[in-house]
Amino acid sequence: MNLIWASILIPVVTAAVIAVANARAARSLAAVGSLASLGALAAFAWQFPAWSTGAVHPEPCGCAWLSSINATLGVGFDSVSLMLALLEAFLIPICVIGSWTAISERQREYYGWFMLLHASILLAFAARDVLLFYVGYEFTLVPLLFIIAIWGGPERRQAAHKLFLYTFLGSLFFLGSILFVGWQHHASTGLWSWDMGTLSTFASARLPANTQYWLFAALLAGFAVKVPLFPVHTWLPLAHNQAPTAGSVILAGTLLKLGTYGIFRLALPMAPEGGAALAVLASVLCTVAVVYAALICWVQTDAKKLVAYSSVSHLGICMLGLFALNPVGAQGSVLYMINHGLSTGALFLLIGMAYERYHVKDMDQIGGLAKRMPVWAFFMVFFTMSSIGLPGLNGFVGEYLCLFGAYIATGDASTGYPGLLGPGFALVAGTGLILGAMYMLLLVGRYVFGPLREPRDDAHAKHGHDGAHAHDGGHDGGHGDLTGREVGLLVPLALVCLFIGVYPKPMLQAIGPVVERTLAPYPAAVERTLKSQPQAAEAVQADSKEDDRG
Amino acid sequence: MIAAPAMLSSVLALAQGPLDAQAAPELRWAGLALLLPLVSGVLCLLCGWLKVRSKLPAALTIAALGGAFATILRLQGVVGETPVVINLFDWISWTWGDGSRFHGFTANVDLYVDRLTVFWMLFVTGLGTLIALYASEYMESDVGKGYTRFFGAVSIFLFAMGCLVMGGNLVMLYLGWEGVGLASYLLIGYYFTKPEAVAAAKKAFIVNRIGDLGLALALFLTWQCYGTVEYAALWKAIEAAPASSEWTAQAIPWLLMLGAFGKSAQLPLYVWLPDAMEGPTPVSALIHAATMVTAGVYLIARMFPLFIVNPDALAAVAWVGGLTALLAATIGMAQYDMKRIWAYSTISQLGYMFLGLGVGTTFGASYHVFTHAFFKALLFLTAGAVMHGFAGQLDIRKLSGLLKVPGFRLVSLLAVLGCFWLAAFPFTAAFFSKDEILVSAFTAKDERVHVLGWIGLVVAALTAYYTFRVGFRVFFGPVKYEPGDEHHGHDDHDHAHGGHDANASHGGHAQHGQHAQHGHHGEFHPHGPRWAIRVPLVLIAVGAILAGWPSYRTMLDHDAPNWVKTQVAQSSAYQGAPAGDHATHGGHDAVSHDAAHADHADDAHADHEHLVLGMDAHTAVGRLGSLACIAGILVSLYLHLINRGAADALRRALMGSIATRWIVVGAERKWMVDEFYDWVIRLPLRLVANILSAIDELLLDAGIVNGLGALPAAVGRIFRPLYGGVVQGYAVTMAGGVALVAAWVIWIWLRGAN
Amino acid sequence: MNPIDPQLPPGDPLVMLGLLASAILFAVGIVGFLSRRNMITMFLCTELMFQGAGLAMISYGRQHMDLSGQVFVIFILTVAAAEAALALGLVVLLYRRKETLSAEAWKELAES
Repeated sequence: MNLIWASILIPVVTAAVIAVANARAARSLAAVGSLASLGALAAFAWQFPAWSTGAVHPEPCGCAWLSSINATLGVGFDSVSLMLALLEAFLIPICVIGSWTAISERQREYYGWFMLLHASILLAFAARDVLLFYVGYEFTLVPLLFIIAIWGGPERRQAAHKLFLYTFLGSLFFLGSILFVGWQHHASTGLWSWDMGTLSTFASARLPANTQYWLFAALLAGFAVKVPLFPVHTWLPLAHNQAPTAGSVILAGTLLKLGTYGIFRLALPMAPEGGAALAVLASVLCTVAVVYAALICWVQTDAKKLVAYSSVSHLGICMLGLFALNPVGAQGSVLYMINHGLSTGALFLLIGMAYERYHVKDMDQIGGLAKRMPVWAFFMVFFTMSSIGLPGLNGFVGEYLCLFGAYIATGDASTGYPGLLGPGFALVAGTGLILGAMYMLLLVGRYVFGPLREPRDDAHAKHGHDGAHAHDGGHDGGHGDLTGREVGLLVPLALVCLFIGVYPKPMLQAIGPVVERTLAPYPAAVERTLKSQPQAAEAVQADSKEDDRG
Repeated sequence: MIAAPAMLSSVLALAQGPLDAQAAPELRWAGLALLLPLVSGVLCLLCGWLKVRSKLPAALTIAALGGAFATILRLQGVVGETPVVINLFDWISWTWGDGSRFHGFTANVDLYVDRLTVFWMLFVTGLGTLIALYASEYMESDVGKGYTRFFGAVSIFLFAMGCLVMGGNLVMLYLGWEGVGLASYLLIGYYFTKPEAVAAAKKAFIVNRIGDLGLALALFLTWQCYGTVEYAALWKAIEAAPASSEWTAQAIPWLLMLGAFGKSAQLPLYVWLPDAMEGPTPVSALIHAATMVTAGVYLIARMFPLFIVNPDALAAVAWVGGLTALLAATIGMAQYDMKRIWAYSTISQLGYMFLGLGVGTTFGASYHVFTHAFFKALLFLTAGAVMHGFAGQLDIRKLSGLLKVPGFRLVSLLAVLGCFWLAAFPFTAAFFSKDEILVSAFTAKDERVHVLGWIGLVVAALTAYYTFRVGFRVFFGPVKYEPGDEHHGHDDHDHAHGGHDANASHGGHAQHGQHAQHGHHGEFHPHGPRWAIRVPLVLIAVGAILAGWPSYRTMLDHDAPNWVKTQVAQSSAYQGAPAGDHATHGGHDAVSHDAAHADHADDAHADHEHLVLGMDAHTAVGRLGSLACIAGILVSLYLHLINRGAADALRRALMGSIATRWIVVGAERKWMVDEFYDWVIRLPLRLVANILSAIDELLLDAGIVNGLGALPAAVGRIFRPLYGGVVQGYAVTMAGGVALVAAWVIWIWLRGAN
Repeated sequence: MNPIDPQLPPGDPLVMLGLLASAILFAVGIVGFLSRRNMITMFLCTELMFQGAGLAMISYGRQHMDLSGQVFVIFILTVAAAEAALALGLVVLLYRRKETLSAEAWKELAES
């Protein structure tokens, strides 16, 4: 408990210290603060007793926050949320240290906002009280708004506005839904409670199917924006493209996972009837997203935008696994959340490193960088392979379990978990594997390999040619290969990717019980849905296939 | 074909012996076959980071591969008829619910070792070691540049190939499958500054991915059908519930087939293999001829119990194989680049193997894989040696009489030897293995495939022709050569590729000034290969000759077991026998567990049931095959050695007539398959992608999202005049508002008062 | 009809007069604020409005025989004094920027 709060509050304190400290010390302070936060969380994870039980530890306390409605400061982790929080705590030092040379203006503000962003994301993952979760979930927007709007690319203002307003609108659905559930709980039991477990049990057991339908729809609408699901994804490419490197890393790494986590943690347990009824529709959107976004990736010329769109495609597969409503898919989905954070985060980091050197991301102007930066190229290929799901690296396990889950999610109950999807969904989403290889190898083939093409960057031309190689020693590293600091950032990421790929068993075993708990009401709910509308489900399924092929 | 499931069940009931795998934890050292290449891969990576500028990576790789080969040799001595499962460590494994069947998913890092595994690994690791040795000299101009990268990728390839072949479940197989794809990608794109190489690498990976999707879906379907993807449990599950007429069980072979066709370059996914020749030649020899491309054959052989439930699928495999063999042979006849011709011949020979699988002789297919691995590696490596010595020259029109060029006599001799093997000259190893396949095609139970036997014979003639087209042109005739104008892709490396001795450096220099004086070989000194190239060549040639040994032995002594057949028979691959010509004997084989018996049974009984041209199939195919081969060679001899002008005259004659023009143009332009795919698949997809991209940016984002976002602003514009920016304006508004509220309150109050 | 409060005990003229005066003060203040452009005048007008409100409070306090109205006024006077210091300072700053006291010079909030 204290370690959890320590990990959340250390960054807040760091932000406060940075605000009054010397501007030059800001980046070191931020690094120390983020590492300390990681340390606190790691210490908590080390002695975490519930890795294999799926229980929440510690029991959320009843410490009052808004006592008139019994909102509490209850925090606690189960293995899934702890993994996501660890991912966040792991990525933040990388982001901070990765920004050391990229950010040269207004450093105090930058690192301060980053620390606050970190704290709020951790709070969201740790919260066991839905209102507290909402606070963490929503507050992330404030630091991110500033990070993008101040340190972003040329269209940063527009990107920040769109990000803020769009996701804020989505959150309103979410807030409305949880207030509704809390109010229903009060109306029905006379007590206020905002505990996730209590509300989930209450809502899934006591709310009528129709209400659950709308509840799930509203929660889905709220979280879908954050995930983002097709067709409410358009803020993401812009935000990614304009955000500073570290902003993109954390946006892809964990902020999007708040959406998937929300669906996993709130929408699915609260409204199983709604989840069963809407799974097919949601899955259709997911499969469309997979193919649609992958095709768009394929015609991008901007490296960062390509990776940004690939997030939409990847998260489509991730959500498809979740809506398979069986342990295989849900396992895969949770694992995918982590894997996507690692590999896409790393890709953004790598593109950022190249951008720092050339100030160009457009593959029409730049390419063949392997000649200049072999180490960078190695990592680029490595994380590309991780991203397209090469077995032995992390992407594979999650991706295949998601597809596998969707595949076996037929009405057949021999697995104990009948589902509403089936081979058609897996087939269409599986084309994402081919398309994924197409666009990622396009990226690698043009950006990393091929004949060397360097932009005639005016600023660089002046510096570089006049002062011989003086500029190479400059603060952005010139056009040389990765520095020791940059390699040091990528190596841990690569090792984690490799570890998850080679030995995913501990993670699978940790996720398993939580997934089973979450999905406990589903077999019955799916059976009911299957009985009530078998033709409708089939019709939708058939439509989806046609749509996707067309 | 409808009776197959029933037949299968009876066969399997009899055959359960060899399929009952035993756990063998004491054999964990077999994991060295995987571990050693992996370790050498990691060490090569370290070398790369430490900027090692010596041949250390090659030494590491050769040592590791040699170690792996030794491990497999030892394993061959240990593993008997019973397959063993060796658990290395747990990978993906968990259960839910009560953990019963269908309530869990297990795919651990297991090794499933039976004779087939060992057989495959023997030539994979053996050839791998030799080719790595060859490459240590071949790639030496890249020492300090791409040398470590090259050997790192080769190590990774051998590791992945090991996983593919030795893995104990479909997920391990998939791991290897994609892993060899990665290695292939990295090695094809080895000259990464060359756009064609990068494009070829990308193409190989993507085309393979199409097949991989099939494999992945097959994996899912297998689990859905049988509740497991581990071989040992899978065979048991099939044994327990063999009557799989449901669409799921029927669909598995089709999906597996897709995967196999991708990796083994069969129709319609063969297009990547010719382009893959952009990679360094040792890679072409190892990956794209001898080992990786046979993974598809291995897959089908290994999963044969899943195939025999669907005779239609087997027939499809046979047809695809036969047609691919024919198509690739026709293209190979009209190419001029030596490596490309060998690439098309590889596709064609792989077609034979699939033909063999489709007609049920996994033995014939595996035997052909075995023989082909040696002679094709030999052909590629000799081509590489020529290319190495002649500055990248591969055009068969520009090389002639190499047998007489000093330093190239051995290479040429071995190349001609390889040509005889590829052409399946009577009593070479390939002759026997091809014979086995064609006999099975003629005698298959499924009559739909008999015609494929004839196609196979035609292809045999074509093969002999195009093989010796290269052989006679390049190695015989008057000495004449032009060096290539580049050293295969080193457009930015310095060209002193032969800096190892004075003579060669001189050649390297001469080559720079060569552009103006093509053909004057007085200034160009081709340098012959040294021992690291010669020794592997000789050893592989010996291997190619010895590959026929099992058949020679059987010829001499009818009771002697054919070693390859023994290996294949004691594995899941031989469950397929009932579907092919060995229908009556397959069960017998399995019962007896004795390959010697099986072999004997085949020779003694199988053939006189099926007559071809009034002879028994073996005799007929032997004679016809020899005839086809010799005919092809003779035509080649005339057109390409005795009267070389005649070939051009023939081409001109064919081109002259509209009716025949298409033959030449089609074959030379590879029947436009690449262009067809480009127009039918890639361009439309590209168009759709562009449209979607426009929709996303213009309709969804700029239109709907920004439109909705602009709505509040539009509403606000109505009230804008109220906010002119002058303080008094705001004050008036406020005062007016207050006055209105006050008036309203007073009005309410007055109404209430009354 | 008593426009103020029907339940008032009639007769205390001081209350009525006080309220009348407060209304007049407020009205003068508001008219002045709206019609003048000089920032200092406008500020003075706001002070007038303040005092109008204060006077009304004292009058009601008188009516209810309660001191809290007067307490409020003392409070308001304090705030107003502080505010005057601040506001005049602001006016000086604004004057320095644009060399004019006209409120019309400052339109940055306009939706242009």
